[in-house]
Amino acid sequence: MSDVAISTEGLVKDYGPTRGLAGLDLEVRTGEVYGFLGPNGAGKTTAIRLLLDLIRPTRGKAVVLGLDPRTDGVVLRRRIGYLPGDFAVDGRQTGAELLTYLGNLRGGVAAARIDELAQRLDLDLGLRIRTLSRGNRQKVGVIQAFMHEPDLLILDEPTSGLDPFLQHEFSDLAHEVSADGRTVFMSSHVMSEVQRTAHRVGMIRDGRLVTVERVEELRERSMRKVEIQFGGPVRAQSFVGLPGVTDLRVNGSVLRCRLDGRADALVKEAARHTVVTLSVEEADLEELFFHYYDQSDEAGGAA
Amino acid sequence: MLRNVFTKWLWDARRSVLVWTLAIVVVGGGYAAFWPTINTPGIQEALESYPQGLREALNYDDLSTASGYLTASVYGLIVALLLVVYAVSAGTRIIAGDEEASTLDLILAHPVSRIQLALQRFASFVLSVVIIVSVFWLGMLALIVPAQLDDISTGQFAAMHVHLVLFTSFFGAVTYATGAATGRKSFAIGIGSGVGVLGYFAQGIIPQLEGLEWVENLSPFHWLIGGDPLRNGLQVGDCLLMLGLVGAVVMWGSWAFSRRDIAV
Repeated sequence: MSDVAISTEGLVKDYGPTRGLAGLDLEVRTGEVYGFLGPNGAGKTTAIRLLLDLIRPTRGKAVVLGLDPRTDGVVLRRRIGYLPGDFAVDGRQTGAELLTYLGNLRGGVAAARIDELAQRLDLDLGLRIRTLSRGNRQKVGVIQAFMHEPDLLILDEPTSGLDPFLQHEFSDLAHEVSADGRTVFMSSHVMSEVQRTAHRVGMIRDGRLVTVERVEELRERSMRKVEIQFGGPVRAQSFVGLPGVTDLRVNGSVLRCRLDGRADALVKEAARHTVVTLSVEEADLEELFFHYYDQSDEAGGAA
Repeated sequence: MLRNVFTKWLWDARRSVLVWTLAIVVVGGGYAAFWPTINTPGIQEALESYPQGLREALNYDDLSTASGYLTASVYGLIVALLLVVYAVSAGTRIIAGDEEASTLDLILAHPVSRIQLALQRFASFVLSVVIIVSVFWLGMLALIVPAQLDDISTGQFAAMHVHLVLFTSFFGAVTYATGAATGRKSFAIGIGSGVGVLGYFAQGIIPQLEGLEWVENLSPFHWLIGGDPLRNGLQVGDCLLMLGLVGAVVMWGSWAFSRRDIAV
């Protein structure tokens, strides 16, 4: 099997005046869990549906498991498990009926395998799907994506609606797939979810890949919000220009700033005063995004 | 029944097929059972006093025989219209209904090509029509003696019902193809029922206008009863025309479906 599970080159999808994708270059390696991270409307679902040949690109090309989704769709989709972002099915059937049918479309999946997954996720397959809660419905979706042990799982917001215990179980499932040498490509707009499950994260914004990072590096580099309460008023000037410090605001004896990278310089400067409290909070995803966006905008402006 | 797209579609339509079969047997049989009452001197005279134009519009030009009565009231009107409604509602479900419910993505992400999916479902729809029309045929055969329909043979009924299957399949094809090409339920329903209404007028009303007699040749209702299959048996020309149109329209719709983007 090739080292690359998914690669796209300059993938563009125009939707009339708006642009779904503006030239996406993606590389997902075989055997990894790849988190595809971005705010709503960034083009995550568009990219995923292009990979499955549900929609066709305006320009550019995609190669999935060494195949062209457009011409080898049937052969390719046999080796893919897909969970749509909005997992909608006819609610009049039971979970067991739906999973049997979907398994049969793939040439049959053993009932024991379906039962094993259902037990693991604590789902009653005998109930009609329309009577299930949103979370339980999502479990049906997760099972149908994993049950035939595909080479590649393409999951659009897989953990939405799942409670923390099940999110954890989902992470385990994804890691087992990866340990088996198979690949998981999952989208999300929740950083913490991707951090727990993925090995690498690609961030997408406005239909373009902004950055790709290993999760560990991302964690090290991720910005923090710092708030320091001093024993008395401090002057802002002494903190201006410290490495990694941005968005500095001093209000009497309270200092607030953002910190990127090492904390050393800020701590040493603060130590010259009496520090009453010090709180460091990890920036949430949105802030992280804005940070990267600003950088990429600057890079774009300079070029 | 969960084995493939073909059987699954029929399985999912089972309640609808049952209800439509019952409705058509009851309504069609009810009209047929009325024949002994129609076939009495008082009613016949009253019907003959209708203006000629009205009788032509309603296909009431020959109400003195059982076949003429059934063609006018059952096969050319009430059952035909019921079957058009069934064809439009089922034809919409094949692709457009599924797509607007956002349930099509999941199936198309499976190893089934779009053309395969569409053709299997359309074939399943045709089988559902065959089931409905066949049960209705058995119902009519059972009525031959009690409703005094004995001037019509089993074979003539069979010919009429073959026309009925093709007629219904034609409306299913038009509706399916519109939905498959556009992904929009409203277009599918609009075009399917629009062709039904125009076809109905093109057979009964428009040909009465001077110089527009030829228009009836364009009407599916004319292909259904124009050759009077209940009296003359199977009209091969009309049947081949309907069969050919079903094939062409389904091919076009499936081709358009395979080329476009699926809506979320």
